[in-house]
Formats: sequence, structure tokens, C-alpha cells
Amino acid sequence: MKKLLCIILAVVAAVSFAACAGSGSAEFKPALDTARNCSITVAGSYDNFEALEAAFDRFNAHYPNVRLSYVKLDDYNNSIGTALGGNDKPNIFFSYAWMIGNEKYDSVVSHMEVLSDPALKLNLDCIRPGLINRDAEGKVTMVPVFSRTYGMLVNDDLFKKEGLSVPTTKAEFDAVCKAFSDKGYKSPVMGYSLKSSSCLMNTVAYPLFLASLAGNADALAKANSLDPAAGEYMRPALEAVDQLMKSGYVDLAECDKIEDNYSKVILRFFEGDVPMMVCAGDTVSGTKKRESQSEAFTNSPFAYSFHPIPMTDKGGYFIDSPSIEFSVNKDCSDLDMTNEFMRFLVSEKELNDMASVKRLVTPTKDMAFDAVYAPFGKVPAEMTFSPEVLGVKDQLTVQIRVAAFKVGKGELTIDEAIAQYGTFE
Amino acid sequence: MKKTGVIIANVLLIIGILAFVIIDSYFENRDMTQRQIEHFENTTITMGHVTENYLEGEQRICDVWAKYIENKGMTIPEAVSYIRISHVLPNASAHIVYLDTKSGLSTRARQDAPDDFTVSYERMNLLNDLSWIDPIGESINVSRAYTNPVNGEQSIAFCNFVKVNDQNTGLPRDAILLRILPVAELEQKWVFPQEEFESIELSIIDADGDYIIKGHSFKNSSFFEFYRSYNATDLASSQELFNSVTSSTGSFNMLNSRGEDWILGYTQVAATEGWTLLGFMPVKDLHVSTENWLLIGVVSAGLLALFLFDLVVMLIFNKKLQVAAREAASANRAKTDFLSTMSHDIRTPMNAIIGLTTIAEKNLGDTEAVGENLRKITLASNHLLTLINDILDISKVESGKLNLSPQTFSVVETVENLVNMSQPMVKEKNIDFNFRVSRMEKEYLYADQLRLNQIYINLLSNAIKYTQAGGRVSVDMGEEESQKPGCVRLNYVVADNGMGMSPEFMATMYTPFSRQTDSRVNKIQGTGLGLAITKQMVDLMGGTIECESEQGKGTTFRVLLDIPVADVQREDMKLDPMDVLIVDDDEVLLETAVDTLNSLGLNADRATGGLEALGMVAHRHSEGRDYGVVILDWKMPDIDGTETIRRIRAEVGADTPVLLISAYDWSDIEDQAKDAGANGFLSKPLFRSTLYDKMSELLGTEAKSVEPESDYSDLAGLNILVAEDNDLNWEIISALLGMYGITAERAENGRIAVEKMEQAACGSYELIFMDIQMPEMNGLEATRTIRALDDPWASSIPIVAMTADAFSENVTECLNAGMNGHIAKPVDIKLVIKEIRRIREENKQ
Repeated sequence: MKKLLCIILAVVAAVSFAACAGSGSAEFKPALDTARNCSITVAGSYDNFEALEAAFDRFNAHYPNVRLSYVKLDDYNNSIGTALGGNDKPNIFFSYAWMIGNEKYDSVVSHMEVLSDPALKLNLDCIRPGLINRDAEGKVTMVPVFSRTYGMLVNDDLFKKEGLSVPTTKAEFDAVCKAFSDKGYKSPVMGYSLKSSSCLMNTVAYPLFLASLAGNADALAKANSLDPAAGEYMRPALEAVDQLMKSGYVDLAECDKIEDNYSKVILRFFEGDVPMMVCAGDTVSGTKKRESQSEAFTNSPFAYSFHPIPMTDKGGYFIDSPSIEFSVNKDCSDLDMTNEFMRFLVSEKELNDMASVKRLVTPTKDMAFDAVYAPFGKVPAEMTFSPEVLGVKDQLTVQIRVAAFKVGKGELTIDEAIAQYGTFE
Repeated sequence: MKKTGVIIANVLLIIGILAFVIIDSYFENRDMTQRQIEHFENTTITMGHVTENYLEGEQRICDVWAKYIENKGMTIPEAVSYIRISHVLPNASAHIVYLDTKSGLSTRARQDAPDDFTVSYERMNLLNDLSWIDPIGESINVSRAYTNPVNGEQSIAFCNFVKVNDQNTGLPRDAILLRILPVAELEQKWVFPQEEFESIELSIIDADGDYIIKGHSFKNSSFFEFYRSYNATDLASSQELFNSVTSSTGSFNMLNSRGEDWILGYTQVAATEGWTLLGFMPVKDLHVSTENWLLIGVVSAGLLALFLFDLVVMLIFNKKLQVAAREAASANRAKTDFLSTMSHDIRTPMNAIIGLTTIAEKNLGDTEAVGENLRKITLASNHLLTLINDILDISKVESGKLNLSPQTFSVVETVENLVNMSQPMVKEKNIDFNFRVSRMEKEYLYADQLRLNQIYINLLSNAIKYTQAGGRVSVDMGEEESQKPGCVRLNYVVADNGMGMSPEFMATMYTPFSRQTDSRVNKIQGTGLGLAITKQMVDLMGGTIECESEQGKGTTFRVLLDIPVADVQREDMKLDPMDVLIVDDDEVLLETAVDTLNSLGLNADRATGGLEALGMVAHRHSEGRDYGVVILDWKMPDIDGTETIRRIRAEVGADTPVLLISAYDWSDIEDQAKDAGANGFLSKPLFRSTLYDKMSELLGTEAKSVEPESDYSDLAGLNILVAEDNDLNWEIISALLGMYGITAERAENGRIAVEKMEQAACGSYELIFMDIQMPEMNGLEATRTIRALDDPWASSIPIVAMTADAFSENVTECLNAGMNGHIAKPVDIKLVIKEIRRIREENKQ
């Protein structure tokens, strides 16, 4: 009996192993001449792209003579079109969903290769479906490399020290804020508040606004078309912002001392006295590098993680949106090697490695690999929205961002803000 | 030192040498690395100067344009047209934009609109802060790498403020002139000049560390960001690095993005806004260590090989030493055994001599008993003398001092001597002894007779000694043709049917002091030196010695020697033709004797026994053709020689001369043979000269009776001067000579001998016996002095050395001094008498 059991277990183990091996985690195998000598340039708007440069090095392990480089284009959105048609054409370039359908970027879009072409053998299945933007014919011309979301950085050690748990519901959030406040924390919640871009008000409001539009095509259409009637859909989001700002748990004056929405936000959080720092995922991406730049954090390091902001009884929303997408310039030189690089890059391992280095949210289905973003992997599907899937237009985001900022700052009442929907720039 | 100790010492030595080489290589590498680094730094500095010159050159063009445009008061379109005309670089371009609007015109049209020359930097932050642009001619105003808004290419721009006239108002308006060069083109030109640094990558960073121009292996947008990303550091170290790189020149190692060890060189680019040139290359490309590892490898392998070689040689050497030690121990043992044996062997005859002398003294009245004692004393003395001679010989052989002293000698005499010496033992043991000589053409040869005799005598005496009583010993001697010119090859074969030798003993029989372990051998007197001496002598004379032996069956020794023929030979020996009958039971002897007789011109018939000879003699006699001479062997199987003579005499009378031949001492049968009618005696072997002499004598004197050797009347009355310092020796020699009626006068030393000769009247002395080692004047000097005397008689008197210096070189020395002969002490009176007779014979001639 034992023998039979052993055989069965062995067969099961072997089959499982074979299944795992065939599930896309297989090692990359070069399909072209590995001695090939050529150059591939990736053009983008990032000042730094260490994560991609690390991927270059790994690709060079297979193709040592391929010279890969990342180039930051000044005034990217305006210069990419020129660069794609110039003498020094990039092979791969940053692309955004908003480019499609925008007349100004038709020439850019016209250079995009169809990456869903089976001949290219790109493993698009490793990416969360909500992040992939398909056209009417189902073609994919952009591949998400990172995703962005909205949430709050939590000082785990501070919670532990004060005997508190990270809140997962609105009630818990209020209780935790009160507890910290009672313990003498002047501003249990902080965030960037000088300008509307990436301000804490928008970070709180935007997920709530999308939630009110989700499943309501008519509302979304109105909102996208900047119909003033759509302003009413902002009310729950603006009320939440207003309540938070007036709760006494956010010291706006202290927040206004944070000079920019990126480095300064991180360095302020690393001071170690802020239990919850509301920010976008893009800001979290800079934490790793700035750990060593923060004297306070170097002297007293602590554990931290990124959580959805629990503004409902069910918890917080996960706005799953591509941060950066790659497109291939179909008119570039060495297109075959460029596609080979994309085949190498579009895999769970490489995308996760890049996300890990960049400290951004991975676009793959495996979010648990990075402890900082792991809480978002636990958000249920019904609390997850993808603006691209919903069909959210860029101008809509401007409305809620400015409205939330102004309400949060006390410059407008909720009603005034709602009334002005469609007018914010 | 034990083997392990030697190995450990060697290993430690090797480790020490390797450690030295490695340490030396390390320091050499370190120095080489330092030199390479300095070279790299210097090259970086040079590259900085080159860059500076290049930038200055490009800036100067921009300056010239700017001044010209300002001087001419051009509008932007006019300035663009002017630049377009003066511009020669195909990929370069120029932009002029108003300072306030950041928009203007380009010398080249937009990529996507061939007619559109407008350009705008409004949305770029390149021209937001213009503090880096100084007035014309003051510095290099070069931008960071940026995206050319006209064609999207990464470019750098050399800039100047210019005043242009507004197209619309005609008023002067501030503008910026940008002379633009693509980075790609710049990178192609901008490489290190030295081939050894071909892998180097260059970057230029601004005062903040941001790249102006970025090499491929440089990552991030800031060099310091790049450094921090891949190298462990802290805030203080980062700041220190920043200060150092942006304000000085030097180099340091750092990890690149792949974790590889690279070296970064940095130097300031003068005339810029705090720019730094960076050179970046793999440390391994400094080319400093590979040769040294090769050297270490070669040295290691060489030392290991040397060590192994030494080890093997040492082991082999040790093995040889062990063998040599064993042999030395064995030789030592043998010498100890030998000394023990010698002690025994010397004491034995000495005991006999002393004991018998005591007995003789007690029985002086009993003449017969004293005579018997003296005879035994003589035997013991002779044995003792042989023993001493052998010891001395082997001593000389072993010390390598044995030299040959060749001289002309007669083979016949040598053989006669051999036969004579062997006779006593042959007779005593009743051994069937045959000595055969065949084809001995040359009687006189030139060699060291003493050593030759020693070889032949040793082998023969061994054969007789180790053959049981009643056994058989034969000697075959012949002359063969030699390969050496002027030489004959003497073939000497001694065969016996004695006890033989074991193979084990044969393997070492030529080793000194070795004797076969055999109960029978132990009863036989011997030194164990005879064969060793013989072998050494044969080798010394360039000959060979071979031996075949089987225990219980006998031994055969064969010696081959190439000996030069002496210049002097006997004259042609021919006799008148005559019929001769030779009778012997030995077929070989018959064959050789017939050949020899025929060669003398005689007609020889042969008979193998007495009876057959009788028949032939009788038959001839009946025919009236009697043999001229009959030569008979004494010992024959049917009837012996004496009986045969007797019957011949009875049959044919006394007319036919008969000679009796024998290998034995015929003195015992002399009387009996004479009575039977023998006309003479011949000793075996039958040499040609012996036969010739005897036949001539016989035919000349006709049955002349043999002169008895015991007749010493010819010696009576001779007066001999004996130079001898030792009283006892003088007493002996004078007494011995007196026995033969010879008188002797003594000279106590050489000087007295000379004086006596100076004073002596002519013919006072027949000869002089001269001792060598004497006080005042030795024998050699005395001889030379006498030879130099004026008196012809005195100066030519025969002088014979009589000395204990018995080696051949001593003999040669004596002869060279002018002596006529040599007699070794202890003296054998028979030899002395023989020598006196020889001298007299020579004087007669």
C-alpha cells in the first residue's frame, strides 16, 4: 500500500513539475545568432532607468555583442514623433494609452509594431489582462512594463511599536488615526499638498471617483465628455477628502512643507514619525534608492509597505493602471533583434525583476514577490479597477484631481467643485 | 638525513622559491598595475586636453559665427542663411532662437516637414537656466546631451548669446545661437588614442554629476547615482567621492552594473562649467598579470620536475650506495676473513719452519732426520714465499700500481719453467700430465715475462692443485694469427678433470679473497688471490680469459693474449734430410711433433706405441733403411719408453740414436734410460728450437751422453763480489755459493763495492751480486758508478741484482741502471747457479 502511495505521489510530483516547467517560467532561449553585433536604443522620458539597464545586462548574457542603451528624450511627448522619423530612430519607445486616438500622436502610433502577432512569441499572458490595451481588432501595440496605483506608505514598525494594525476598512482607518493622534502624533496621515499633481487629495479621491463611475457607462461617458452633470459622481470622493482633511488627522501646514511630490515625500516619510504617507505608486518607486540618502532612515531603518487607502467599509480600491508601456518602432534597424529583446523582456521574471529594481508595481499576475506591494495582491477583484479597461479619458482625471485638491485645500466647497466639473484645467 | 627529511627539505625549498616568485610577482604586478593605472590616468588627462581642444575649436567656430552675425546686424533668417553657407559638416546644424520665446529657425528643415525650418525650445528645460552661457569668447558654452527638437537626435550644442535684428521691428533682440553636433557622430570620433585602452568608454559629467555625454557602460542619468546603485557606500563616502571626482584628477576601482571590477579615471575639463571627463574600463584590460602566472607556472613545473628528477637520482644513488656499502661490507668481511686466513696460512708454514728447525737443532747428530727436516722446512718456506708474493701482487693490483715491464723472452724457456715448476706436484699426485705445443713459430716474444709466467703458472698450479691424485691435467699452447700487427696470439688452455667449480663460485671467482666453500678445497692451501691476480694480469695485457667448469667433472681455462714478436728470432733452423720416427700415445702431440720435425727438413714417421715402433724400426732395419733418429715417449700404455729402447737395442743394435721424451722430471729415470741405451732426453713440450738443438747436438756428437746437471765443476773457483749490508743475508749467500765451490767477497754497501771495483785487478771477480737497498750508496747508484769507471773490465763486469725488491718495475729499474740480471730474495740457489751459468755463457760469446 505504501509502495503504491509512493508511486502515485512520485507521478503527481513529476506531472506537477512538468506543468510548472511548461507554464511560461522556462528559461529564455535565444532564437537568433548570439554573435550578432548590433545596437538597440530604448527612448523614454525617465531620467533614470536602472531597472531597464539591468535587463540589458541580463540580455547581454545571451547576446554579448548587442549594444543596448536607454536614452531620455527631452520634451518626450513632443520629441518622440520626430525621433521616430529621424536619423537616430529608437528601436523601442515609451508609449501611453492616451496616444491612441490622439491626432497629434498619429505619426507615433503609426510606428508601433503589433506586438500581439503570434510570430513574435511574446508572452503577453504573464501580464494582468486589465493592463493590456487592445484595439477593436484585439491587436496590442503597447506592452505594460510597470503599473501605477494609489495608496499609502505605512510605517510598519511604527504600527508595531504603538501596538496597532494596519487598517483595512474605513472604520479601522479612523480608529488608527485617532489612536495615533491620541499618542501625540500631530499628523498621522500626510502627503504632498502644494500642487494638484500627485497630491494626497487626488490620491484619496481618484479611486473613489472611478468606483462611482464603474459599471455606469452613461456616467462614464458623461464624465469623459466633461459633461457638468457628471460632477455629481465626484461627490463621494470629495466628501471623503473633505472629511479626512477636516478630521484633524492631517496637518496640512506640515504637508505643505513637502516641497515636491516625489523625493521630498519619500524623505519626509523616512523621517520615521509618519504612520501613513498618502502617495502614488510612482512615488513609492523612489523609496529604495533614497533609503541610503536619508540620514534618519540610515540611522533608524524601519519596515514599510504600500497599502490601498481604506476609504470604504470593504477596504480600499486598487486602481490598476499602466505606468510605462513599451512599443516597438517597426521602422527601426535590427527589428528582429528588437523583437528578440521584447520576447526576453516580456516574461514574468524580467518584468518582476524590473519592477523590483524600480520599486514599481509589476504588471504581471504575481504581485506577491515584492513585500512592499504585496497588500495590493490581496485586494479582491470587485475592488480593482483599470482605467484603461473602463475607458477613462485623461481629461476626466484632470477634473477630479483639481477638484479634490481645491476642496482639500479649502479653496472650494464640495458643491462648488461639483458644479465646476468640466472646467478644471 | 633521512629520506623523509630530504623530501621535506626539498618541498620547503620549492615552496620557499615559489613563495618568493609569487611575492615578487605580486609586487611586480602591483608596480605594473600602478604604472598601468598611472598610464591610464595620464591618458585620461591627455584625453581631457584633447576634449578641451576639441570643444574650444568647436566653440571658436560658434564664437566666430556669433560675432559675425552681431557685427552684420543680421536677422535670424539672414543669420541662418549665413551659417548654412559657411557650414561644412554634413550632420551638424545650427539653431538661432529668441531668448524670450525660445523659438527661432534651424539651418536644417524638420524631418517630417521639409519646408519647415522653425524650431522651439519652449517645452525643453535646456534653455531655462542660461547661467552656463558666458559672453562670446570667454568660455566653452556647451550644453548637455539633449534631444534635437528638429530631428529627434541626441545632440550637444555650443552656444552663444547674440544680438539679432527683429524681422518685424528691425530692432536688436537677444537670441541664442546653438551650434549642434549629434552625439552619435561625436562618439565615433571621441575615442582613446592608445590601442591598449581600446575598451575604454568615455563620459563627460557636469558639476552635479549628470551626464553631458554618456558612455555605454555608464548607467543612470547621474554618474554618482550610477556609483551608488552598484557600489556599497555611505553618505560621507559618497560626498567625498563627489568632491574628489568633480575637483581633481585620479582614478579608482568600482563595480559596473554587472558587478565587474572596472577602473574609472577622471580629470577636469578646463574652460568649462565644472565638467569632468570620465574614462571607464575593465581592470582586467590593464594587462598586468598573465605573464607572471605563466612564469609562476613554469617555475613551479620546473621545480617540480627538478624535485622529481633529484628524487629519482637520489633514490638511484642511494640504491647504488647501498649496493656499494654492501659490497664494501662484503669486501671488508672478505678481507677480515682473508686476514684470518692469512694469519692461519702464514702461521702454518711458520709453525712448520720454527718447529722443524727446533727438531733439527735437537737432532744435529742424526743426518737423515736433519735432512728430512730441512726438506720440509724448504717446502714450508716456498709456500710462505708464494703467499707473500700473492699478497703483494694483489695489493699492487688493487692500488692500481701494477705496471707491465715488457722485455724479450723465450717462450721455450717460459714453457720449460712451467713444466719444471709443475713437476714436483705432478709427480707427488701422480697426475697424468700433458703439455702440448702446436705451431709455435716465434720463440722470442716481447712482453712482461714475469706476469705472463704468473698467469700461466697460476692456472696450471690451480689445475694440478684441485685435481685429485691420479687425475689428468693437460696444457695446450699454440700460436695463432693475431689481429694486432706485429703480434702473435698465444692460446693457452689448461684443462683438468678435477673437482670443478659451482656456478655461484664462478660468478665471483675473480674477486679477490674468494675461495670456493668446499670441504675438499679447504684442505688445499691457497690464498684466494690467484685467479684475481690472473684476471687482472690478463686484463692488463689486453687479453681474455674464459672458463668452463662443472662440479665433479673438471675445469678448462683458456687465455688468449696478443703478444708482440721480438725483433730478434732464431736463425733459420734446418737439418739435413733424415728419416725420423716419433712415438707417443698422444695423437695431438704426434701430430704437432711430426709437423715440427717436417718443418726442420726431416721425414717423420709416427707410431702410437712401443710395440708398433719396434715393428717399424725392425722393418726399416731389415730393409737397410734405419731411422736416423727415434724419438720415444717415456710413458706409453703398452710398453714404456725405457723398455722400448731396450728392445730396439736388442733388435737393431746401438747404431740408431734414440731420444726419450717426457713431460716429467726425467732425472729419476735418467740412469735407467741410459742403461737401456737412450742417447738423450727431451722434455715436453717439443718446441721446434728444442728439437732442432737436440737433433743438431745428437747428430753432431753422435750419441753424446747427456751432461749431468749435477756437475758443478765449471763453477768451482769463481770469485764473486757480493754487495750486501745485511749480515745474515751475506752469510746465507756466501754459504750457498760456497756449496758450489764459489768464493765470495763482501762489500757492506754500494760505496764499498765501488771502491773494491776501483781497486780490484782485472778478472778479480766473475760478477757482482748487488743488493739494492743499502746504506751510504744503494745498489742502483753503485751500479751506475761502476759502469762509469774507466777500467773497461770493471765497467763491464756483469752485475746481477739480488734484492727483495721483486716487482717487475724493480727489475726494469735494475736493468736500466746497467745491471745484467735480477734475482729476487729469498734466493733460490738453483736460480742463482743458473744465472751464473747464463752470465758466463754470455761472456763467452
